[in-house]
Amino acid sequence: MRQRALKWLDERLDLGGIRGFIAEKTVPVQRHEVWYYFGGLTLFLFMVQVATGILLVLYYRPSAEEAYESVQFIVAEVEFGWLIRNVHSWSANLLMATVFIHLFSVLLLKSYRKPRELTWLTGVALLFLMLAFGFSGYLLPWNELAFFATKVGTGIAGAVPVAGTFLMRLLRGGDEVTGATLSRFYGLHVAILPAVTTALVALHLLLVQRQGMSVSLKDEHRARAGVPIPQRPFFPNFILRDVMLWYIAVGVLAALAAFYPWELGRKADPFAPVPAGIRPEWYFLAMFHTLKLLPNHVLGMEGERLGVMAFGAAAAFLLLVPFLDRRASRGEDSPLFTVIAVGGLLYLVVFTVIGYVAA
Amino acid sequence: MRTCAIALLASLGLGSGAAAQTSGSSPNECVRCHEGLPEARLSAPAAAVKDDVHVRSGFTCVDCHGGNAAEGDAQRAKAPATGFRGVPRGAAQIATCARCHSDAELMRRFSPRQRIDQAAEYAVSGHGKRLAAGNATVATCASCHGAHGVRFASDPKSPVHPTAVAATCGTCHTQRSDYEKSVHFHALTKRGDLSAPTCNDCHGNHGAAPPGVDAVANVCGTCHAVFASKFAASTHAQIFTCVECHGNHAVSPSSDEMLGATAPGICTPCHGGADDLGFATAGTMRSQIERLKASIAHGEGLVERLRLSGMSVRDQDVALDEARNRLVQARMEVHAFSPSSQVEPVTSEGLQILSGVERAAQRLLVELRFRRRGLIASVALILIVVGALALKIRRLERRGDV
Amino acid sequence: MSVPEIGKGAPATPDVDGRRRAFLDAVLAFGFVSTAIAIVYPVSRYLVPPESEEPATASVVAGKLSTLAVNSGVIFRFGSKAGLVLRTPEGEVRAFNATCTHLDCTVQYKAETSQIWCPCHNGFYDLAGNVTSGPPPRPLERFAVNLRGEPGDEDIVVSRA
Repeated sequence: MRQRALKWLDERLDLGGIRGFIAEKTVPVQRHEVWYYFGGLTLFLFMVQVATGILLVLYYRPSAEEAYESVQFIVAEVEFGWLIRNVHSWSANLLMATVFIHLFSVLLLKSYRKPRELTWLTGVALLFLMLAFGFSGYLLPWNELAFFATKVGTGIAGAVPVAGTFLMRLLRGGDEVTGATLSRFYGLHVAILPAVTTALVALHLLLVQRQGMSVSLKDEHRARAGVPIPQRPFFPNFILRDVMLWYIAVGVLAALAAFYPWELGRKADPFAPVPAGIRPEWYFLAMFHTLKLLPNHVLGMEGERLGVMAFGAAAAFLLLVPFLDRRASRGEDSPLFTVIAVGGLLYLVVFTVIGYVAA
Repeated sequence: MRTCAIALLASLGLGSGAAAQTSGSSPNECVRCHEGLPEARLSAPAAAVKDDVHVRSGFTCVDCHGGNAAEGDAQRAKAPATGFRGVPRGAAQIATCARCHSDAELMRRFSPRQRIDQAAEYAVSGHGKRLAAGNATVATCASCHGAHGVRFASDPKSPVHPTAVAATCGTCHTQRSDYEKSVHFHALTKRGDLSAPTCNDCHGNHGAAPPGVDAVANVCGTCHAVFASKFAASTHAQIFTCVECHGNHAVSPSSDEMLGATAPGICTPCHGGADDLGFATAGTMRSQIERLKASIAHGEGLVERLRLSGMSVRDQDVALDEARNRLVQARMEVHAFSPSSQVEPVTSEGLQILSGVERAAQRLLVELRFRRRGLIASVALILIVVGALALKIRRLERRGDV
Repeated sequence: MSVPEIGKGAPATPDVDGRRRAFLDAVLAFGFVSTAIAIVYPVSRYLVPPESEEPATASVVAGKLSTLAVNSGVIFRFGSKAGLVLRTPEGEVRAFNATCTHLDCTVQYKAETSQIWCPCHNGFYDLAGNVTSGPPPRPLERFAVNLRGEPGDEDIVVSRA
């Protein structure tokens, strides 16, 4: 039956090339193999977000008057609405975690080195897109925490030098966070970001397929010394492992949805005072807490502005890593960048923890 | 009096055409002269009449004071031949106003809905009786309504607008400070509820006098009808009135603490001791109400928690409203002051509704737990698949495909 | 025949191995199918509109016209509040927020006098929602009423004005 279907398609589309590619594609066997699955896992979780997101869109209403009530409706009245919503919220967090793990594994394994600089650039762009997804999506339930987190977050955008006020007004759809902000964030979250992300993911995957899986520097040295790198067929071995990991992810999501369901919170009241200890979700926490700790004025500039500029510089640095790390491009060991990567990771972890404990 | 009336009617007949236009067209030397006078007592009326309802309807100074409005010279304008009466005071003032305001045919031409019995009412009021007995300081028409610059009572700037009545009466009566502490005053001025009572709603308008002791309950009962009817049937009605517990001017918000023998309960002055039936009844009613209140609070907490967890609690919201209704009703039933009052049945109804809420809340909690179990079952399924996949991969690779 | 030891490194006889493989494949197939159902079933139930079609912040169906007799009134749920839908003696359908403006008790329709009555403190409203006697300070909030559906089987749709 399967053969007949494939034959039917083959007669029309000439699947020979693809079938050959899949049958022959191999993946190097690695010592640090587990890290190589996180890209696929990130993609899977993103697909989960798209699927649950589309389902939520069928009932959600993006206006300040109805958003909270529509989420309440989904969770309380729509059958299994609570499940879809919980999966979407938890998967978002899991997705951010896998994105960071994927980023740091690539960074530490130096897979960004030549010839994979383009893959790296698209990857970092995807990281920023995921952060934008998280920030925009968080506001949509229009509850107290989300409203004030958005107020504070867009306020920080106002600290960008030169274009800060303009940027803040652009994000907020006005001077304050209002229903206009909600409309804007909704358009971003369900239309603009998905479109751009789809294009970049396609490019990212195309590059990975074209160039094949990277190997660690050590294996590359061994290969150059004449020791061949053992290979494993992509299909079915690697794929099955991928699928196994995806199933584990689904299991984790189901367990989280069962034991730690997300609360609705209280409906946002723009005229209420900011609740004490307001803070963003964990993936923004390190950045937020750093800004909080900066003194009011540093070097004749507002502390917050300096912090924002520093983060901008860090983002630029991240983008340019493959071009800055000359040694890795030449295939040599690059301990400096290892130290920088570890330092960055430690900073994020420590400040996230401090941010949590401080509240 | 009659000649003045005829003269007035004649001048009205002449002036009615002019009255349709602004008052500036017919000469008013009174105003023109008085507004330029340095003494405030003499110039203020001239300024005030510009806002006066009488003036807007075409009446002028001479209609109340007499005199000649066309005469520029002060002495000739007020010569005795002109019928100048000066400032009417006391009974003369009543008569001046009543000349028009008790004339049905005249009032019908200007304000058909207005009553024409104010003077008659005044005559039997506390003020009127004292005036007749020779007290010259007592309030008369102008004391409350003003003399110049009179506005309709519905005008918020009028001294007899509901929100201003207490201040107007308070210029003589000290009860004003008590009243301004009351819930009625708060409702009137802070909540904008113009149906809340002020001085004239309980004492009467022009026929104002304190209600007699046997009439107090009726007066309160014009609004608080149900309480009054319950109370009237109780033994308390034979002994005292609403005022003894709730006050008359400084009516403060009632609270459940008033019911009971322990302070701040107000039953103790008469009821005391465990063998006093009233004492026991008060205690019982109070405990029933407190039980309902506690049960409502508990139900509200449960429902709120479920709401925040995302469960559908709209039916429970409606039920909680119903339970709160019972609480309101129970507090009303207290006024029967009897062991056979309806407090117990009403609170029981409320408690029953709340146990329904409790049961529904438990069902929702069970639903939450059921979801949890369903998801755990899914997790178990997933683990089976993961285990099978792991084995499959191992088989594939052992066969030497690596 | 040696007892098959599942999990041991050494390969078993082809016969047993075949059965083991079949068993594993069967478990895998069962697993895939059941997890697929565990996903497809909730999603398909989710897509079916629930009974209360909307968050009901704006409008709600209060009942059928045919069940509302002339000179009668019925309490219905509007969101999480009570509403009163009534039919005047002349047959017109009207709807109000059933929360009395005095102390929030639920009002009811009094057919004997064709008035709306609050049992808590004897407040009376006329059929336009205006207070005619008793303590309520404001008229009842009035809702908009529309009839929808086949003649003879109309729904009474109540919405915030």
